[in-house]
Amino acid sequence: MKKSLLLGFLMVLALIIFLSACSESDEAAGEGGSDSDNAEVGDQVTLRMTWWGSQSRHDQTQEIIKKFEEENPDINIEAEFTGFDGYFEKMAAQAAGNNLPDIMQQNFGEYLNQYADKGLLADLSEYVESGEIDVEGVSDTVMESGVKDGKLLGIPTGTNALAAFYNTDMLEEAGADIPDESWTWEDYLAIAEQVHEQTGEYGTRLMEPKNLFEYYLREKGEKLFNEDGTDLGYENDQLLEDYFTMNKKMVEAEIAPGYDTIQQIKGVEDELIVHGKAPFDFRWSNQATALTSAAGDRNLEMTLLPGSNNVEGMYLKPAMLWSVSENSEHKEEAVRFIDFFTNSIEVYKIGGSDRGVPIKEEIRNEMAADLSETDKKVFDYIELVTENSSPIDSNFPPESSEILAALEEVDELVMYGELTPEEGAKQFREKATSVLNR
Amino acid sequence: MIPKKEEQNTANVKAASSKSTTKKYLKPLEPAQRKSKSNNKNATGYLFISPFLLGFFTLTIFPILYSLYLSFTDYDLMGTPNWIGLDNYVRMFTNDPTFWKSMEVTFFYAGVAVPIRLVFALLVAMALNKIVEMVGIYRTLLYLPSVVGGSIAVSIMWRQLFGNEGAFNSILSTLGLPTHSWLGDPDTAIWTLIVLYGWQFGSSMLIFLAGLRNIPKTYYEASSVDGAGPVKQFFIITIPLLTPVILFNTIMQVIQGFMAFTPSFVVTNGGPVNSTLLYVLYMYQRAFEYFDMGYASAMAWVMLIIIAIFTAVIFKSSPHWVHYESENK
Repeated sequence: MKKSLLLGFLMVLALIIFLSACSESDEAAGEGGSDSDNAEVGDQVTLRMTWWGSQSRHDQTQEIIKKFEEENPDINIEAEFTGFDGYFEKMAAQAAGNNLPDIMQQNFGEYLNQYADKGLLADLSEYVESGEIDVEGVSDTVMESGVKDGKLLGIPTGTNALAAFYNTDMLEEAGADIPDESWTWEDYLAIAEQVHEQTGEYGTRLMEPKNLFEYYLREKGEKLFNEDGTDLGYENDQLLEDYFTMNKKMVEAEIAPGYDTIQQIKGVEDELIVHGKAPFDFRWSNQATALTSAAGDRNLEMTLLPGSNNVEGMYLKPAMLWSVSENSEHKEEAVRFIDFFTNSIEVYKIGGSDRGVPIKEEIRNEMAADLSETDKKVFDYIELVTENSSPIDSNFPPESSEILAALEEVDELVMYGELTPEEGAKQFREKATSVLNR
Repeated sequence: MIPKKEEQNTANVKAASSKSTTKKYLKPLEPAQRKSKSNNKNATGYLFISPFLLGFFTLTIFPILYSLYLSFTDYDLMGTPNWIGLDNYVRMFTNDPTFWKSMEVTFFYAGVAVPIRLVFALLVAMALNKIVEMVGIYRTLLYLPSVVGGSIAVSIMWRQLFGNEGAFNSILSTLGLPTHSWLGDPDTAIWTLIVLYGWQFGSSMLIFLAGLRNIPKTYYEASSVDGAGPVKQFFIITIPLLTPVILFNTIMQVIQGFMAFTPSFVVTNGGPVNSTLLYVLYMYQRAFEYFDMGYASAMAWVMLIIIAIFTAVIFKSSPHWVHYESENK
């Protein structure tokens, strides 16, 4: 009896394995068939690669991959891509399964630090030293942003900076001043008020605090986190209170919309500035293309964020990083893709400044001739920021995503009037300290 | 015919054992006197269900037990889990206001949405029970929301429907009524989710409908001869005879209500100001956004206990209000 039971189980098991093997080989055959025009399937190395982004980035990146595969017939890249929402959740699950992709688009700040903390990313220094990744002439500050605990864990895809986007048509219509890089918070508030009074539209967008409050602190000479990332970096809660009060006043005067409107925005296409409903928007410079193309014939320009001390506040950030996972079996091949991405002009002809302004000067110069109008603005802007900025802070503790979520939550509570700015500032400190002391 | 069979069963169970009255309907009867030569046949049986068993043990039982273990660790998805004893549970109850907020939201949601769905399902089932022609079409149409209801697509549709410039507000404004930011207002956002839950009444409705069909027409005829109107008939015939079905539906819906995730994840993502942060959504955020898998596992077990308590309470109370025809109560 026992034998027949065992036999039966074995048969079932065999069946399952057989079936799954069937489906797998089908898949492999399908892919091999489409990609093996000039290479034997046997020698091909398959790399997995993931990124987040908008539809236009998905299209461009797939085109870049195709170019790379043409030049490197022995490598086949399997792409997995999503929007930013859900990307790191998915990666976390893959990390848990020891199944991270070979090439991974990584984010500077809390995410990179977290992955560094767990030792999930490969140290790329040796490949840079051996020249397999050619980063000749890239400035040290740029490369520094991919370094954590002495290891080079990511190669920046390009440079990025926060930018104040404004709609010149709307400002002119309202007779307001056009901002330049020396504008202050007072100027910003005054222009917003004027636009609101003259046009009846919103004078600005209510900005989420995630990046902006950090900028606000830097502009006041403070930091969000302390040196070793064990506590908040600023002592005086008045700072956050003032920040809340500034936004709260605008919402109350209906110069800026409340969160009930902001929450309806699900993508760049829904932004107020795109629809001519507000003249300002503060966001990352690499989103200029997406924003401009969604805005149609509205004239969007960009300048530094406001504040008399904005040189302290502004910083250059790697738009993203390319990382190779520690568990990858094909690090050499993965590195070849990163090198291709960094050094091939083709990549930037396809992608423009979508992943930031190229880190290599040759590429920038080579591109300068035939840049689109928007890309040219972005390039000029990054140059402006390069001259008027201070180094980025990288002391984000691994818990910072939770702390930033707490900041957003408190910000909502204040804007909805459930907390006063003073209570909000206090509550944020309590929450942040309790998370950090856990 | 049905009562007769039940009487038989009752008799059997009574002969076999004297278990409590509620349990006898849950426990399937053992086939009589097969034991002696059953070994071989059992083995064949297990063989036939072995694909299920394999999946059940590797994909269900093992993860469940593993999550129990993880709930006592600081597992963060990437590192190795370290045993920290009851820390996760202690932190949950003493040092996490968001946990309590999500608990409050979930109890409100389940407490309001489940009765709404049940009442709605019963009303629709009764209406359908009266219709004679083309029942199939109506039934399918009304069941449709439940088939597609759990899906992302419907949640996205809901978001559009109740958005500031959504269909609902356009209707209001064409009627000259004031519009409202349904999803943006912390007081109304949860109600859009409750309405969504109520709208997916299909499966409970079908079960109610089957229950209604089982009530003999003769009872109604007899009572109308005695002078009972429709309202009275509803309370003295329909409701009492439907109580077993109500019991079943209540339990299923309470469980579903506590475990709701998709609507708050897609429609509102917990906002505004956490007013729609359902328990399971918070658990998900803990696990995959803050990499706090140990804590999330602990949350899952707390929810399991809560649901178990609710189910037990409903079961225990059932002898007082559930009426089985076969009993002489």
